[in-house]
Amino acid sequence: MPKRVALKDSFMVDTSDLSNLCRAVSADFSDEQVDVSGFSATGVNEYLPGPRTQTVTVTFYGAYGVGETHAVLYPLYKNRTTTVIKWRADQTAVVSATNPELRGNAKLFSYAPGSTRGDTDTYDVTFTAIDSAGFDWFIT
Amino acid sequence: MTKTTYKVTGEVPFDIYQPGETFEAELDPELEERALERGSIEVVGGRTRKKEEVTDA
Repeated sequence: MPKRVALKDSFMVDTSDLSNLCRAVSADFSDEQVDVSGFSATGVNEYLPGPRTQTVTVTFYGAYGVGETHAVLYPLYKNRTTTVIKWRADQTAVVSATNPELRGNAKLFSYAPGSTRGDTDTYDVTFTAIDSAGFDWFIT
Repeated sequence: MTKTTYKVTGEVPFDIYQPGETFEAELDPELEERALERGSIEVVGGRTRKKEEVTDA
């Protein structure tokens, strides 16, 4: 895939297509860096990767209509529901090697909408992978 | 298990289906319950929700 300007992303939560109600997606996969250093002539630390945490943070527009942002997200947080999220770069093209889709089972451990007078109502929501399968990229 | 007919009643698409569109599917019961609860979809033809169907059976 060539360089792109992010315009056509698809983001789905609990099978609802919230693409038009979000404007930024950021995935963060990180492994705990475990120090396994022993004495050595150089004194340089030695590390191994430890537990992995995967999150996807999305900036949503606050929307309170039927089936919109709040109606989809708040029950997931309130009821501690596990749901599936899906994100891909081009919603007009099928999932493929050049348009891979990030998928996985997630939970919301926090939910914090808000508003500021005169500003567009947006807030960030972080989805955390909650099983051993984690989030992964699929090409079909 | 037979497919159920749904209509997208929410303001945003449900899966690949646009608002107002009707589709047939076998949804996961819990997913269906959440989607019905928030108004994303409705069952076409007046079928009661699956959990209630089990109770009635």
